[in-house]
Amino acid sequence: MEHRRHTRFQKILIGYDGSEQSEKAVDAAISIARCHDAYVLALAVARPPEPPTSVELEATLDDAREHFEAGLKKVVERAQDQGVTIETDFAVGHPGEQLIHRAEEEHFDLIIVGRRGTSLFQKMILGSVSERVLRYAHCPVMVVK
Amino acid sequence: MENVWVLAALWVGLALIATLLAIWFKISTALTEIVVGTVAQFVIMAFIGHGGLGAKAGWVTFLAGAGAVVLTFLAGAELDSVIFRTKWKEATVVGLVGFFGPFLGCAAIAHYVLHWGARPSWLAGVALSTTSVAVVYAVMLELGFNKTDFGKAILASCFINDIGTVIALGLIFSPFTLKTLIFVVVSVLVFAALPFVTPRFFHKYGGRVSELEAKYLLFVLFAMGGLAVWAGSEAVLPAYMIGMVLAGTIGKDHILVRRLRTLTFGLLTPFYFLRAGSFVSVPALLAAPLVFVVLFFAKMFSKIVGLLPTVRAFQYQREEGLYYTLMMSTGLTFGTISALFGLNHNIITEAQYSFLVATVIGSAVIPTVIANAFFMPRHLLPKAAKTTKQAQALPLEVLADADAD
Repeated sequence: MEHRRHTRFQKILIGYDGSEQSEKAVDAAISIARCHDAYVLALAVARPPEPPTSVELEATLDDAREHFEAGLKKVVERAQDQGVTIETDFAVGHPGEQLIHRAEEEHFDLIIVGRRGTSLFQKMILGSVSERVLRYAHCPVMVVK
Repeated sequence: MENVWVLAALWVGLALIATLLAIWFKISTALTEIVVGTVAQFVIMAFIGHGGLGAKAGWVTFLAGAGAVVLTFLAGAELDSVIFRTKWKEATVVGLVGFFGPFLGCAAIAHYVLHWGARPSWLAGVALSTTSVAVVYAVMLELGFNKTDFGKAILASCFINDIGTVIALGLIFSPFTLKTLIFVVVSVLVFAALPFVTPRFFHKYGGRVSELEAKYLLFVLFAMGGLAVWAGSEAVLPAYMIGMVLAGTIGKDHILVRRLRTLTFGLLTPFYFLRAGSFVSVPALLAAPLVFVVLFFAKMFSKIVGLLPTVRAFQYQREEGLYYTLMMSTGLTFGTISALFGLNHNIITEAQYSFLVATVIGSAVIPTVIANAFFMPRHLLPKAAKTTKQAQALPLEVLADADAD
């Protein structure tokens, strides 16, 4: 308990995909960041179709960039209103892996992701992002429902 | 089916189903369209009978052909000429090995093992020689290697590989006649003039509601495609080259490229891929599945034998080298274009076409799955696996503390 009481989060990574759950993850991150005076990065990840064809890949990335940019802009404004600065970034790949990779590379000490209600079939085929992050991340993970 | 609108609704409906499947399973639309085309043709033939999807109707053939041409043009337009100029030596070596290995290897296997005739065997070599710039690019983006010298060289080598495929497809099956000579000379002149003429023309007349740019490009593509077909070649050959020579100008006009994508994805390519799938004979595949297995391993083996030592020569480690080799073994668009060219020109039979398309699909899907499962150079994964036991969920008390603060 002693250890838990002194846990401080200086760097928080949010997995952002524009969904309702990821917006809740942002809210949780803002709340924690205010208490811990933490640096926050919201990372949006575009997942290319497999196997991609040239034109489809570029189209997917362009669409994802536009979609995330609009959402992330609102996130930044919402955080600013509450006195928290959030930086944003965009990556390509499997969302779970990109979050784990970024967290490890830049020594984040908390990852916050939303949990979407994927069907059993989707979980079997695609895997759950939150489960993958929870399983492989080097740091504490908060999954927001 | 004589009612054009009913037939059009059927095709667009199938395209819609394919797109939904692609969204649900996060896989390529091209892939789902081919599979949906195959299944739809099989089901319609089984339950309704003669005619099926009507894939040989003139307007379907035109839309599908236009889809292949514009798709190839856009693929060529994505060439990064700066990368290409700086990395041309490595790109040429890796690209040529990536082309000639499977081209010769698969042609030999088709001829000597499957006992296909000379022309079908060469076509098999061409169809299975392709690589996918997009697959490699996606992996590069994911790993951040797209900014490294090696990554840039590999991407450029994919273009060289595909140039080999397109040139072989365009020239190998047509007898060299005066028409071929005219086609080659006119092509060279047009390819040389386009990078100078096009930007000036667009600057003077472009940017209007009348979409002059799209009409201009379609005119050039169709005219050069017509010349290619007249010379006994294939329309995608000039389309790819035009895309490459205009990559530095048109390729950078983001709005124009997006408009062309909308036209291509919204209308043209669904017809192309659904049609390509509709010619696949499920009974032929089921009757001799070993042919697929032989062709698939021929492609994989000939790619790996040639590319792996070449990639390693450029100092890439074991897993990464194998990963890139597997990625370069994929190739969906040019593989199906080549196979369909063979079927349309009676170079291959419907059964041979079915085996080639099945192999192309297999080679697009299986290496990706294997590479992702066993050869991911995602350096974090081994470390992550070791720390699995240590990974922890956030203790609820921490959240409670945070809220309390």
